[in-house]
Amino acid sequence: MISAQDLIFLLQGVPTTLSISLISFAMGFIVGMPIAMIRQLSRSFELSTVLEGYDKVMRGVPVLVIMLFLHFGLAGLVPLFRDPFISAVVALGLRSGAFQSQIFRSAMNSVGRDQMMAAISLGMTRAQAFRHIIVPQAFIVALPGLGSEIALLIKDSSYSFVLGVLDLAKYSDILRAATRSFIYPYLLAALIYVAMTFPVANYLDRWGSKLKTKYGLR
Amino acid sequence: MSVLKCRDLRKSYGDLQVLRGIDFEIEKGETKVIIGPSGSGKSTFLRLMGLLEPPTGGKIFFEGRDVYTSGLDLNIIRAKIGFVFQEPSLFRHLTALDNVKIGLKCVLKVNNDEATERAMEALKAVRMEEWANYYPAQLSGGQQQRVGIARALAMDPDVILFDEPTASLDIELTWEVIDVMRDLAKRGITMLVVTHEIAFAKEVADEISFMDGGKILESGPPDQLLRSPKTPRARRFLTRLLGGI
Amino acid sequence: MFLLDYSYLIVQGFEMTLVMTFLGLGGGLVLGVLSALGDVYGGRALRALIGAYVEFFRGSPLIVQLLLFYFSVPTVTGVRWDAFTAGTVTLMLNSGAYQKGYFKGAIEAVFKDQLLAAKSLGMTFWQTLRHVVLPQAFRVVIPSWTNEYVSLGLSTSALIVIGLRELTTVSKSIAAQTFKPLQVYLLTGLIYLIWISASLKALDHVYSRVRIPGLEVSAEAS
Repeated sequence: MISAQDLIFLLQGVPTTLSISLISFAMGFIVGMPIAMIRQLSRSFELSTVLEGYDKVMRGVPVLVIMLFLHFGLAGLVPLFRDPFISAVVALGLRSGAFQSQIFRSAMNSVGRDQMMAAISLGMTRAQAFRHIIVPQAFIVALPGLGSEIALLIKDSSYSFVLGVLDLAKYSDILRAATRSFIYPYLLAALIYVAMTFPVANYLDRWGSKLKTKYGLR
Repeated sequence: MSVLKCRDLRKSYGDLQVLRGIDFEIEKGETKVIIGPSGSGKSTFLRLMGLLEPPTGGKIFFEGRDVYTSGLDLNIIRAKIGFVFQEPSLFRHLTALDNVKIGLKCVLKVNNDEATERAMEALKAVRMEEWANYYPAQLSGGQQQRVGIARALAMDPDVILFDEPTASLDIELTWEVIDVMRDLAKRGITMLVVTHEIAFAKEVADEISFMDGGKILESGPPDQLLRSPKTPRARRFLTRLLGGI
Repeated sequence: MFLLDYSYLIVQGFEMTLVMTFLGLGGGLVLGVLSALGDVYGGRALRALIGAYVEFFRGSPLIVQLLLFYFSVPTVTGVRWDAFTAGTVTLMLNSGAYQKGYFKGAIEAVFKDQLLAAKSLGMTFWQTLRHVVLPQAFRVVIPSWTNEYVSLGLSTSALIVIGLRELTTVSKSIAAQTFKPLQVYLLTGLIYLIWISASLKALDHVYSRVRIPGLEVSAEAS
């Protein structure tokens, strides 16, 4: 049967799960935002082909395979990837970069053409218009999407279990083996995941809609 | 010398010829009004004059200099040509005050205190100073349009172009915008206005031009053009618009 | 080429990946449509139940769900079940939770004004559902359904935790046996990539053929 001790044992996995998710989210932002800007502003054919290829790979290959590739395949060439934690974070971060660039791009597209026109009519350059007019509005529109993205990362951080990272999923598996109880460890872990993903997605969704109403954005 | 002038201005989108050779000029202190049926090319003409789109033929001169061949920085000229759009195009994430300030700060590099001062002055001119800290979504269409005028005005432009600024407003909101525009015209601001508000045109315009089919068919002082238009098309248009007044 | 010796295993693994994807999508489709209908037309208790089901499966990782079902069902019910059955059931439940969201958005997009119109023609609830709501909902849902196909297809790699021999599991053991993880995982990634890209092209084609002009809708947010 379940005990407080078991719960405390499981909770030891939470900091690792959260740090994988949040670091990879930050990495995804650092990769994704510039990609969105470049794909929106640049007219270079080569550059957009490369970025499109990146996007295709990240959307067409399981993130677990990318993790395995980094940790087992590339570790010989890049010693950094001998660390399973780093491999997991980088794989998730690279994929999040592709996802976030899409979130920002569609958010930027949702900001009406009239806003760009008005900025240009004041004499702003395209770059100024992006920085002061388009991007701040796009951020608001992007909030719900970013919330879902963080929730996705929290869930998918569990793939790091396959590499042997001691995250929440791994702790639940250890607890199963230790207690020989086949239900509660996983059920409890699943509920802890829900308790993490649900508020994040919901909060950013609500915050986004509130700001959208306040500013009259579509 | 004219502030803004064009010669044989042409614009096509693919096979569609929207402007078929327009000659036009406006001098300092003048208010000129353009009328014409929808689809006549008025809005396109205004966007070209505001340097928001490049022409496919002809020339545009700002203070006597050809803007597209003299190697001028288009953004510097755009800052000197105010533009008020048909749909209120306020920046939706900024308050009324910040909407008016942003061009001053970003483009003219005015410091924050001076920008605030100039923006408040412009908001006063459109009677919106009490709404300075409201967001566009909290303002009526007429109020938004007045802030849009203040945003153009604050840049201290040499001419302001108005593209049917009341067309998207309910009839009772039209007047507050028209009143503000009348004030500006009387203050001697140079204005080029596309509108269907004939009473406004009659009162403040130095000249009215009638546009149809991508051309200016005739121009003249309001009394003459409104009462006795020379071309049959202008006559037909005015009869319909004025309902036989 | 060393990988030729293993091509048979790889093909088998990929077949398993395909089978699991389609079983999961098919079962998920039934569950998704039913729970969407239940959520739109059902009573409070039913809606709460559906809400809990969706929140649980969308809010927790597939890996943990797989472990939970694989280990717990035999303990609770005494039924012996293998990784294949456990994996299939879990994928169906998981996909159903996501598909419910897509179908709900689609059904709601259709049902606002058209239900009244159908009523005025004298159609019954079930007739309306069958002839008006569902035919439109299925078309509307295709773009989001495409996303679900891709995301479930890639998620089947999670089956590795219960040892089912799909493409990722097979690759991992080949990589371990050959000591050539770099090449093996590159090839694996490539297979997934080609499969997903080809599927997207095909689904795009289907969508352009069945779509009704003016009938588009975004899926229910999160």
